[in-house]
Amino acid sequence: MTRPGLATACAAMLRRDLTLAWRRRGDIAMPVLYALIVTTLFPFALGPEDTLLQRIAGGVVLVTVLLAMLLALDAMFSSDIEDGSLEQLVLAPQPLALMLGMKILAHWLATALPLIVIAPLMAAMLHLPGAVIPVLLLALALATPLLSLLGAVLVALTAGTRRSGMLLALMLLPLCVPAVIFAAGAVAAAQQGLPWLAPVAWLAAALVLAVVLAPLACAAALRIALDA
Amino acid sequence: MSDWIPLWLHKLGSPPTFYRFAGVLQPWAMALALLLGAVALYGGLVLAPADYQQGDAYRIIFIHVPSAWMSMFIYAVMGVASFVALVWRIKLAEVVAMESAPIGAAFTFITLVTGSLWGKPMWGTWWTWDARLTSELVLLFLFLGVIGLYHAFEDRRQGARAAAFLAIIGIINVPIVHFSVNWWNTLHQGSTVNVFGQSKISAAMLWPLLTMTLATKFYYAASLFRRARTDLLALEGGKDWVRKIAEDEADR
Repeated sequence: MTRPGLATACAAMLRRDLTLAWRRRGDIAMPVLYALIVTTLFPFALGPEDTLLQRIAGGVVLVTVLLAMLLALDAMFSSDIEDGSLEQLVLAPQPLALMLGMKILAHWLATALPLIVIAPLMAAMLHLPGAVIPVLLLALALATPLLSLLGAVLVALTAGTRRSGMLLALMLLPLCVPAVIFAAGAVAAAQQGLPWLAPVAWLAAALVLAVVLAPLACAAALRIALDA
Repeated sequence: MSDWIPLWLHKLGSPPTFYRFAGVLQPWAMALALLLGAVALYGGLVLAPADYQQGDAYRIIFIHVPSAWMSMFIYAVMGVASFVALVWRIKLAEVVAMESAPIGAAFTFITLVTGSLWGKPMWGTWWTWDARLTSELVLLFLFLGVIGLYHAFEDRRQGARAAAFLAIIGIINVPIVHFSVNWWNTLHQGSTVNVFGQSKISAAMLWPLLTMTLATKFYYAASLFRRARTDLLALEGGKDWVRKIAEDEADR
C-alpha cells in the first residue's frame, strides 16, 4: 500500500473538518449571533449619539469579533479529543504541525469568515463611515487568522484539562493585545484620514510569523497535553 | 578546568540534594533579605535627601523600582527554567518555574500598586494607558495564566509542562516591558539607573535603591527555596528520602 501524498492528506483533513462544521451549521451561526447582539447592546448602553458611536465603532467591532472567536475557540479540538481522532492524527505518518495547520484553517473558515462577512453590517450599525470599512475588513482579515493561530496553541495546551473556558480567555487575551492595538490603530488612522499602511504591515508581519511558528508550537503543545 | 562544577550542578538537580541545599540556604537568604531591606528602607526613607521637584513623594521609588526589576527578572528565571524543564525534563526545573510564578505575580502586583500610588500625586491619575504600564499589566496576566494553567491539570507534572510552554510563549513580553519607555515616548519616564555608564540619580538615592534590589533578590531566593521544598515533598511523596524525613519528624 502506498502512502498518500502530503497534498492529499491536507486536502482530506480540510474536507473532513469543513464537512463536520457544515453538518453542525447551528454552531457556526452562534458566534455570528453573539457578535450581532453584543454590537446592538452598545448603542443601548452608550446612547444612540452618532458621533460617539462613530468614534468607537472600529474598536467595538474588533473586540466583539475577538470575543466571538474566543467563544468558538474552545471547540476547536474538543470533539476530536472525545472520539480519539486527535490521537490518531498524532500517530499519523504525516507531520502533525501541517495537519494541525489544516485544522486551524478549517476552523478559521468556519468561525472567523462568517464574522468578517457580517463585520460591515456591524460597522454600519455603529455608523462607521463607509470609506473606512475596507480598512476594517483588511485589518480583520489579518487579525482573525492571527487570533486563530495563537488560540490554537493555547487550546492545544488546555486539551488535557476539563474546565478550560475561562482559563483560555485568561491566557489568550494578554497575548492578543498587540493584534488588537495594530488592527484598531489602522482603523483609527483611516478614520482620521491618516496613512494606515504601517499598522497593517505590522499585522501582516505578525501573521506571517504566526503562520510559520504557530502550527509547530501547536503540535508541541498538543504532544505535552496528550502525554498523560 | 576541573569537572566538579558540572558534577555539583548535576547533583543539585536531584530532589533530595536540592531539598537539603535549599534548607540550609533558606534561613540565610531570608535573614539577608530582612537585614538589607531594613537598611535600604532606613537609607531611602530617612537618610536620602528629598527630591527637588517631587519632594518626599519620590521615596516610593525604593519599593516600586526594585519590584519592577524583580517582576521581569522572575519572569526571565521562569522562562529559562521552563525551557530546561521542557527540553531535559528535569523535575526540579519544573518546580522552580512553577513556584516562581506566584512570587513573580506578587512583585508585579506590588509594582502596579505602588506605581499607581506614585502616579496619583505626580501625574494626577491612578492609571494611564501608557506603554510601560500596559505591558506590566500584561505581564501580570501572563503570570496568572501560567498559574491557572498549572492548576487546571490533575497531573501536576503534566500541568507544569503545559504551563512551562505557556511561560516560554509569553517571554516575548519581557523585552517589551523593558524597552517600552525607549520605543514609545509616553508618560512613564525613561530608565534612570544604568548598568553601563553614568546613572542619572544622585549617589545618596542610588545606594538604598541598589540595596533594596539585593534585598528583593534574596527574598525571592528564600521564598523560592521554601516553596520548592514544600513542592518537592508533595511531588516525591512515595519516595524513600521523603519517608525518612517524615519518620524523623514523627520521632521528634
